[in-house]
Amino acid sequence: MTKDESSAGAPSLYVNDALYERLIALDRLWKQPGDPPAPELVETCERLIKREARLLDDGEFERWIELFSRECIYWIPLGRANDPRREVTVEFHDRRRLTDRVARLRTGSAYSQIPPTRTCHLLSNLEIFSGGAGELAARSSFVIQTYRAGVHRALAGWCGYLFVNEDGGWKIALKQINLIDGDEGQENNSFFL
Amino acid sequence: MHSAASQWDHLVQEGRVHRSLYTDPSIFAEEMIKIFGGTWVYLGHESEISKPNDFVSRNLGLRPIILTRDGSGKINALLNRCSHRAATVCRLREGSARYFTCGYHGWTYSNGGQCVSVPGDDAYGPDFKLGRYDLARIARLETYRGFIFGTLNREAPDLVDHLGGARMLIDQWLDRYPRAELVVRSSAHRMVMRANWKLVYDNAGDGYHPPFSHRSLLLMTARRHGPDRDMSYYGTSDPDDCAMYTQSLGHGHTFIDQRPEMHADSAWKRQRPQPGRETYEAQLRRRLGNEEAARLLEVAVGSGMNLNLFPNLLIIGNQIQVVEPLAVDRVQVTWYATTLDGVPEEINVLRMRTQEDFPNFGEVDDGANFEACQQGLAIPELEWVDISRHLHTARERLDAQGILTGPISDDLHFRAYYQEWKRLMSAELNLTVG
Repeated sequence: MTKDESSAGAPSLYVNDALYERLIALDRLWKQPGDPPAPELVETCERLIKREARLLDDGEFERWIELFSRECIYWIPLGRANDPRREVTVEFHDRRRLTDRVARLRTGSAYSQIPPTRTCHLLSNLEIFSGGAGELAARSSFVIQTYRAGVHRALAGWCGYLFVNEDGGWKIALKQINLIDGDEGQENNSFFL
Repeated sequence: MHSAASQWDHLVQEGRVHRSLYTDPSIFAEEMIKIFGGTWVYLGHESEISKPNDFVSRNLGLRPIILTRDGSGKINALLNRCSHRAATVCRLREGSARYFTCGYHGWTYSNGGQCVSVPGDDAYGPDFKLGRYDLARIARLETYRGFIFGTLNREAPDLVDHLGGARMLIDQWLDRYPRAELVVRSSAHRMVMRANWKLVYDNAGDGYHPPFSHRSLLLMTARRHGPDRDMSYYGTSDPDDCAMYTQSLGHGHTFIDQRPEMHADSAWKRQRPQPGRETYEAQLRRRLGNEEAARLLEVAVGSGMNLNLFPNLLIIGNQIQVVEPLAVDRVQVTWYATTLDGVPEEINVLRMRTQEDFPNFGEVDDGANFEACQQGLAIPELEWVDISRHLHTARERLDAQGILTGPISDDLHFRAYYQEWKRLMSAELNLTVG
């Protein structure tokens, strides 16, 4: 990676009250998903979600992050998805901090990932629907089977996705990962869920 | 065989401690009684049970307890054990309840701990008295500025005396912004590590590890965000070449002061940018003017204080971190997030994003190192853990208040808390529940 590509000098301006309010309001969408979009859009979303899981399992984090839109959010709520302005989350990253997170793992000194966690993302119960305002949305259940340094673990829950069309292609604008036990003690989850 | 007292003298020596303190299940079992029972242990914060009938479930060592505020506003720490067959009567982590009814046989207790109903109580004979079956309670409960502590040791000194030199630092941590009240109601990160609880406690006062254990965070920050950010003041060639220091405050309490570096100019300016930084800073500056905004933004960033209150309370940054032993080789670290009542909402939003940063970018590497320590400690033939750094360099200074100050990388913290650990483990403690 060249210095220019890795530097984060540009400001990140999209995390504001309007964004937080939108994220909280999405709760209704996850609980009452609407009708599916045209079949070709369903297929596009499915392919994107599967590709995302595959890149994570392959440890291709730089290619993985390119699946996300310029103004994306990666969010793991602590238990229920309450207002992140008033509660901490397991993780809540804008694109800048998500890139920091990838860059940390690539320094060669991120001891929590030496050796790296091996993951197998399994997705099921997939529902794809309109997200409003030119967006698409999806909800799927997941099990992530992990192995690291002699320890097998399984993480489970459901994911909410928002997709936006950017530069002629569909990108992930939101990945909200709802662990069934996000509010309970978590072991080393320093990879990506 | 060693006698009881000399056993501990053998295991805790001046510059080294024995591996069994981290690996022996019988020592762990004794710690859970004596360390988490014989001295003041942090149980929770008053703001977590701010209204009458609020409760939270906690542990005193391995003892499940319920921290309640009863109808009269009084705080109670009740042992969560039905007087009948021992089932826990409260099975939720938090909530609001006037009564706790045991799910097994229906015995019911008020949130003040009184036994108020036993189904079919006439079968226990004519001498039956409900009052004999109240929930047991933690014998002594005291608070200091919102922090609730309990002990089973009736002979323990008063809490304020026990806190001693740490009191002034708690005050400084709470009084960073005038008239702002600390609130602990913003959820908590809970991290579980396959390590003995003292590996977490060791680390809390270890000013030697940051440039190494957190190398990934420091490297990433420097590469992506430039020099002089966050903890860049921790040098690698000479860890003590800085204005930071460590202190032993008495009773096993210790302190690492990063403020002389972190807050030398502006901690806000040196902070690695967190989500929402630009938006909320601009909003504050527009509304309140540059001067007031700048003062406020300093409390959105961590305090630069690591105040460790033996055995389980670590005040770090803006968080209240609690060490919760689960087994000899398993510990949960709970990071309670805090907000401030009396500051603009933007500050609290920024505090949320800041407080979830270190658990994700720093603590994970420490956790991996604790687990690596636990694995190395499994080797029976290699018995000792070194805690001798700066023991013989004559760089520690004792002041008139009895506070011992050393260089930032000094192992003073280990030596100080292990003295208190040894004192409690050696003592004939008279522990009772009320």
